Amino acid sequence: MEGSQNEDRQCWRCGAGVGTGLVCPGCEAPQPPPDGDLFAVLGLPRRLAVDGEDLERRYHAASRALHPDRHQTAEPHARQLSERASAALNRAYRTLRDPVARGRYWLELHGNPLHRENKEIPPALATDVFETQEKLEELRTKATPALHDEVRHVHDALVARLVGLEAELSRLYAGANGNGMVDELKRRLSEIAYLRTLLGDIEAALGEVSGAHSRH
Amino acid sequence: MERIVGIDLGTTNSLVAVLEDGGPRVLVDPETGAHLLPSAVAFLADGEMVVGARARELAPDHPFETILSVKRFMGLGFEHVSDDDRRRYRFAEGREGVVRFAVGGRAVTPPEVSAHILRELKRWAERALGGTVAKAVITVPAYFNDSQRQATKDAGRLAGLEVLRLVNEPTAAALAYGLDRADEGTVAVYDLGGGTFDVSILKLRGGIFEVLATNGDTRLGGDDLDGRLAEVVLAELPPELAAQPSVRARARAAAERAKRDLSAAERTEVVLDLPEVGRHARAPITRSDFERLIRDIVQRTVVPCRQALKDAGIDPRDIREVVAVGGSTRVPLVRRLMAEIFGRPPLVDIDPDEVVALGAGIQAGILSGGRRDMLLLDVVPLSLGIETMGGVFTRLIDRNTTIPASVKETFTTAVDGQTVVDVHVLQGERELAADNRSLARFKIPIAPMPAGVPRLEVTFLVDANGILSVAASDLRTGLERSVEVKPSYGLTEDEMERMLEESIDHAEDDVRERQLREARVETDVILGATRQSLVAHGRLLAAGERERIDAAVSALDAARAGEDYVAIRDAIESLSQTTEPFARRIMDESLQEALGNRRLEEL
Repeated sequence: MEGSQNEDRQCWRCGAGVGTGLVCPGCEAPQPPPDGDLFAVLGLPRRLAVDGEDLERRYHAASRALHPDRHQTAEPHARQLSERASAALNRAYRTLRDPVARGRYWLELHGNPLHRENKEIPPALATDVFETQEKLEELRTKATPALHDEVRHVHDALVARLVGLEAELSRLYAGANGNGMVDELKRRLSEIAYLRTLLGDIEAALGEVSGAHSRH
Repeated sequence: MERIVGIDLGTTNSLVAVLEDGGPRVLVDPETGAHLLPSAVAFLADGEMVVGARARELAPDHPFETILSVKRFMGLGFEHVSDDDRRRYRFAEGREGVVRFAVGGRAVTPPEVSAHILRELKRWAERALGGTVAKAVITVPAYFNDSQRQATKDAGRLAGLEVLRLVNEPTAAALAYGLDRADEGTVAVYDLGGGTFDVSILKLRGGIFEVLATNGDTRLGGDDLDGRLAEVVLAELPPELAAQPSVRARARAAAERAKRDLSAAERTEVVLDLPEVGRHARAPITRSDFERLIRDIVQRTVVPCRQALKDAGIDPRDIREVVAVGGSTRVPLVRRLMAEIFGRPPLVDIDPDEVVALGAGIQAGILSGGRRDMLLLDVVPLSLGIETMGGVFTRLIDRNTTIPASVKETFTTAVDGQTVVDVHVLQGERELAADNRSLARFKIPIAPMPAGVPRLEVTFLVDANGILSVAASDLRTGLERSVEVKPSYGLTEDEMERMLEESIDHAEDDVRERQLREARVETDVILGATRQSLVAHGRLLAAGERERIDAAVSALDAARAGEDYVAIRDAIESLSQTTEPFARRIMDESLQEALGNRRLEEL
């Protein structure tokens, strides 16, 4: 999958060498997204540790060159490529900026994907999950203000827990990056994914806006 | 140079702007100098069609023939039309798919109505810029779904405009504000328009405007505030009278005026004059009464704001600035609510009625290569997905994903020899397909084979306009597959072709026809005013003046009956000249009355 053929890519319009670039250094024509992975789209090595500031800088620079707004007056083929390549760039950024999405993607690249459908409760969370679900059930049958507060309290505690888990994940990324950590990575990612879903359920039950635990 | 214009196609008013060296500028009505074109189109019984301020004036007398808020119907189907809508308009019933108004004996779709508004703005722009205008950027509510966006694009095409980009209104507003500010940071845009509400959270950095999240309600706006206030004065009338469409239309107009008053004054009156039935209703109202009446409507903007903040992962404390867009943000209650949600008072230094058009003008400049320092990165407002087994909605692209966005899915067949794969695309946030908005069905042909053997790769692409397209290829043969699109609530390609042909066939007639209609409408206005003045101020007439005026009136009447708009214009001009001294005397008299005993020279 790693694109060795990328080195001798040539611009479809002017023939200049473009390498893994998203646009031609000579005529600025958008190029087909380079072969390889989402890390390559942003010019990064395939590593779990990513510097958020650096990632954003790369994304903005690439967007400036590639976005359809920049190629509005170009020929149809260039416009089409700009759209396709921008979509690939946006997907790369969306995946890599979120540590959890990045971890999942990394596992996928290493042929060891975390199954989305896996509904098994992570053992470390079992007690919390059962208690929370009991409380939610109670809240559904009799929504007293006291119970509401109690669920609110559980919610805040779980948010703190999520923040902790995410911090641990970053530390894990900063350390070794070998295959030996696949199991640990999987365990941590399942915990975070499960916790995010659980928080979404609580927020729905509390009648609040939801869906915010996938970005930081 | 070919000019690209930016158009704000609003629920209540529409505007057109361009980017010039000194910055964006709103272009005006060449006849009246007005900045705002009321988004009103009247289809009269004799085939006359009137757009803008005159159409709005006709609304009370022609409530069913005058479409006032067509934007509320863009991209909708018959089943989305509410009972309240049915009281205000007549619809051509008995068909599925896109909604159609029954006006002047015809069935007209919302994109056709909008096209009349766009054509008028195109004319303004061409007169102001002195050349043909064929390309435009048009703004849409950020929360518009795919069908509503497509309908807007269709309207542009029908008006003879190539729509280069649809820009989200709050994003355009941010662009207008960001132009003279080198600021970096996170801003919120709160846009309460005539019929739609949007909120967007953007991150500004080095000229890049990155939308982090957007939310809204496409059926919530200033119209709803007017409706509440109109009920107050309608309650003063007998129910049979209050139910009449023309009375209701007048009450809404009166309510709108009172709403404006209450933004500055503590109290006012909703005044409804019905001379033809000899009724006169007035309802005194204070600002706090008004706030009580509308509180629940305004409150409905809170949840979308909180959801957008949460989706953006932004704490309200981190919002650097809040931008107010849309005329309804002048309502003090709305401003207080904005301050409450975002923890700071909103920025209002650009006219909230013009800020979106100015932003559209800037985006037009960006597309023509005139501004390379700025770039918008916008998002898709609602999740996109397909219907899968058991009526489940499977998300393919999550809401708030940056556009362009694409995703690939592989499909196979369920039965032996199947020759077509049917993909049902929907948009929304609900779990069941039936609870989301159906966008289109895509039929993709496939070579007959045993079930499960074919491998069809389908690419869903949301372009920079937020509009979805679908491409398919057969993974076994590598061949591209054609995709037949059946929009759920849009015009099919065939219908578009037919409407375009009609509009091209009539393009030349249209210009003459429009001039003629306008001249006739103007005739009616001036004849009405003249007759009224003769009755009210007859005693101010000089000797022989009445005869001269009567002769000019008959000449104009005769010209109006003909087909020559130049002759009508000449007759209007000659009547104006004839009545000029009379009109001056009327003015002087009313001025004297107003000034009481003071002599003119004293001023």
